[in-house]
Amino acid sequence: MTHDLGFWTLQTLNALQLSMLLFLLSIGLTVIFGLMHFVNLAHGALYALGAYFAATIASTAGFWVALLVAPLGVAVVGMALYGGLISRMRKSGPMAQVLVTFGLIFVLLDLSRIFWGDLALAINTPAALSGRVDIMGTGYPAYRLFIIALGVAIFAALALILSRTQIGAMIRAGVDNDAMAACMGINVERLFFIVFCVGCALAGLAGAVAAPLLSVTPGMGLEILIPTLIVIVIGGLGSLKGAIAGSLIYGFVQTFGAVLLPGVASILIYALLAAVLLLKPVGLFPAKG
Amino acid sequence: MFRHTPLRYAALIVLFSGAVFTAFTAGYFGMEILTEILILAILVLALDLVAGFGGMVSLAHGALMGLGAYAFVALATKGGLDPVVAAAAAIAITAGTGWIIGAICARSHGIYFIMATLAFGQMGYSYFFERPFFGGDDGMVGPGRFDLSFIGVDLNDGRSFALFCLALLGLVYLIAVATLRSGLGRSLTGVMHNEKRMRALGLTVWRVKADVFGISGAMAGLAGVLAAQHIMFISPKMLHWTVSGEALVVVILGGLGTLVGPLIGAVAFVVLKHELSHVTTYWHLIVGLVLIAVVMSRANGIFGFIEARFGPRTDRMIQSIQTRDDAKEAVKDA
Repeated sequence: MTHDLGFWTLQTLNALQLSMLLFLLSIGLTVIFGLMHFVNLAHGALYALGAYFAATIASTAGFWVALLVAPLGVAVVGMALYGGLISRMRKSGPMAQVLVTFGLIFVLLDLSRIFWGDLALAINTPAALSGRVDIMGTGYPAYRLFIIALGVAIFAALALILSRTQIGAMIRAGVDNDAMAACMGINVERLFFIVFCVGCALAGLAGAVAAPLLSVTPGMGLEILIPTLIVIVIGGLGSLKGAIAGSLIYGFVQTFGAVLLPGVASILIYALLAAVLLLKPVGLFPAKG
Repeated sequence: MFRHTPLRYAALIVLFSGAVFTAFTAGYFGMEILTEILILAILVLALDLVAGFGGMVSLAHGALMGLGAYAFVALATKGGLDPVVAAAAAIAITAGTGWIIGAICARSHGIYFIMATLAFGQMGYSYFFERPFFGGDDGMVGPGRFDLSFIGVDLNDGRSFALFCLALLGLVYLIAVATLRSGLGRSLTGVMHNEKRMRALGLTVWRVKADVFGISGAMAGLAGVLAAQHIMFISPKMLHWTVSGEALVVVILGGLGTLVGPLIGAVAFVVLKHELSHVTTYWHLIVGLVLIAVVMSRANGIFGFIEARFGPRTDRMIQSIQTRDDAKEAVKDA
């Protein structure tokens, strides 16, 4: 099995697909943390919300509309959270933030149960992407390739924005030293707000693209939260490089671990996290040295 | 350092007499809830010891509790050890594991510490979830409760078991207070407030953290042993990170770093949970809202609020009585 080229192609693509999904989630979380020093445990709940929005919209207006509207809907929810809770929690310590967002997980979980019920929802992959694509002799679902492509496109766009545009420079300045950035005339509070909304929209996008792949359940946000946190801690908080590196490490270790070392696969990633924290207590590519 | 204010004594007396009163009056269901509160209280005391006095916010304590339960059940049923010996061994194992986790994580701070402990906890969860030897996700059936018939106590009686847990909770509380008053506990608080300065003073910081984490791990292990005896069944769910998260919620709800507060938090949480789950299946929603409200109010939990509101007044009262007594004595001496 391991000498077959098809096997390696298939597993590499699976790993990439998982990595890209995690990247969409972790980039928002990590930049929010890097910029605002805010630990948002409810990020996973926003992802679940994105999946629910997508499932509801897709059943009437089709998948592509859902893919566009669901992230916007989640961004609106994010704005409400920012105005109601998060802007008030900015000055309190990480402990209080962890707890408020932990409470928020409970609230959003039960609200989605109230609105959508306990049963899993399913949405179909769009017709254009329901087939398989032949890659080096291996048939691979087109929809999963679409996720990989989407992840790469978002990564490229964010890398360009962060390194080449004015707002990117402002964000990098804010991550590096927010007090100094404010002194230089950057409206840091507005920057926080924009980044928070974009982060929420990306979480919603991740939920919307994951919805046809996995079934949409109230617990899905809680399930994805831990992998996302592992990604950003392995990668180092606040940086794009860290988010993509962490996502790839997680995706490959998890996928190949599951097929090559099934006995220890689930422990492997936690052991890796512990090892990284032991050797580099702030992760591999932290935004601040 | 940890001090017993009059208010704390009063709260302890109220809690203790409430527990004893419930133990002698409650029916079967009430007794189950009381026992659940007492076991949770041991776990949250362990967590408050590291989080409230050492700044080590741990998400591994649920896993340490589960490890204690698994070690106890496996040693007693598969190893054929006497339950008491198995329990002692299980507590020793969780103490050792806690010490190692504390030593490894000692360099991490803040969110990284939380994540590192989370990683160790989830590692344990995955391990027990996948090992057929430990029953996998089906869990295991426990060996039954301790045989205390030599002192005439039958723990299979709900009331005796509740009182037994209460006695052990008292013991754990005393150990926690003794730890905090010892040199180790004072060093720990020093490390929490200024780690660099303590290191400059020549303290081996990681040893202090590891030692206290080990003591806390032993307490969590005891909670696991008792939980395994209480419901006579264990499953990997006990090790899941959400158990640790809930324990943290209880500590915060009650009042971080007060020892007494988490006890109040345990009572409030379990009672709230049971009462709400009668009324609605969405009890998490209400617990979440309460948690958000408590944290946003900026009070240090329920007990922190009470202390801030009434603490100074009771202190003043005691003080005025004392000065009056002193004045009398001075008059007498003159």
